[in-house]
Amino acid sequence: MDQVERLMERPKLYNNIDGVGELGMGFMCLGFALLTWLQAQSPRGAIWHKVYVVLPLMLLMASIIDYGSKTIKKHVTYPRTGFVEYKKRDNVWPAAIAFVTSALVAMGLAFAARSHWGIGSHLGLTTPAALIGLVFAAAYAYGIARVARWKWAVAGAIATCSVVIAMLPAELVGAIAVSTSGAGAFSAGAVGAWLLSILTYGAILLISGAISFVLYLRHTQPPATAAA
Amino acid sequence: MNQHIQNIAELDRVIHEPGRLMIVALLFAVERSDFLYLQHETGMNKGTLSSHLSRLEEAGYVEVVKTYRGKIPQTLLHLTDAGREAFVQYRRKLKEAL
Repeated sequence: MDQVERLMERPKLYNNIDGVGELGMGFMCLGFALLTWLQAQSPRGAIWHKVYVVLPLMLLMASIIDYGSKTIKKHVTYPRTGFVEYKKRDNVWPAAIAFVTSALVAMGLAFAARSHWGIGSHLGLTTPAALIGLVFAAAYAYGIARVARWKWAVAGAIATCSVVIAMLPAELVGAIAVSTSGAGAFSAGAVGAWLLSILTYGAILLISGAISFVLYLRHTQPPATAAA
Repeated sequence: MNQHIQNIAELDRVIHEPGRLMIVALLFAVERSDFLYLQHETGMNKGTLSSHLSRLEEAGYVEVVKTYRGKIPQTLLHLTDAGREAFVQYRRKLKEAL
């Protein structure tokens, strides 16, 4: 019976068999990092702080990543290992629920740790950033790392980086965004921690996705045209 | 007859065959897939997979649509409502039997 349940999980894991899912997430993280850096380096009234600039930029970034992923799937993955169309709710809801849940859990844990036990209060807003990272690492382990054993090392790297970022001195983390003249409602430490976190996750996901993609190309061959 | 034994005797034999069970379990988790994906995931050769799919199509569990991806023929497979219901019942009875 367990084997049947595991078999039913395989189509979900197939979504990242070529590493394209990780590449997409990696580019998204780096895109957010670039946007955050531009905001941190520009004065408060600058164009990078305007919603009518930031929102279309984020939509454009998401569209490019979506188009790129679909193109790779269409021209590389489907001809080699087959086409899968997922149920609509499988596409949107798990990701949305995972994102909202991880953010809420991380904020709740951070609030409890700071207000009840005084843990991490000296670290400012880096503690929630680390907790989000740990939840993200757990989500990665569950959703992606089950495909291949070496990906557990990637989950471990994400978790380790989250803890390291939280343990960095607040002044050092804040120095990353210290030149900001308009970090808005957030402190330089919070902006620095966020920037450092998404830069690290983006880089790790890009490397992991690229390795997966190369391995996928190496180990699969498109079948002969007549056999398709 | 013992209830457990009766449950085993009532298992859907179309689905119970290991090859077809793999196909139905994979199709249950998706909206549709193509022949190549099932071949890749199950490790079956084309003849065996075709034979199992024909049996599932006869039972009304799988819908087969022949189409083209560009100029390349593509066989799309979709688990019908009857197929989904049969698989749900199969899992329930198997759980009860175990």
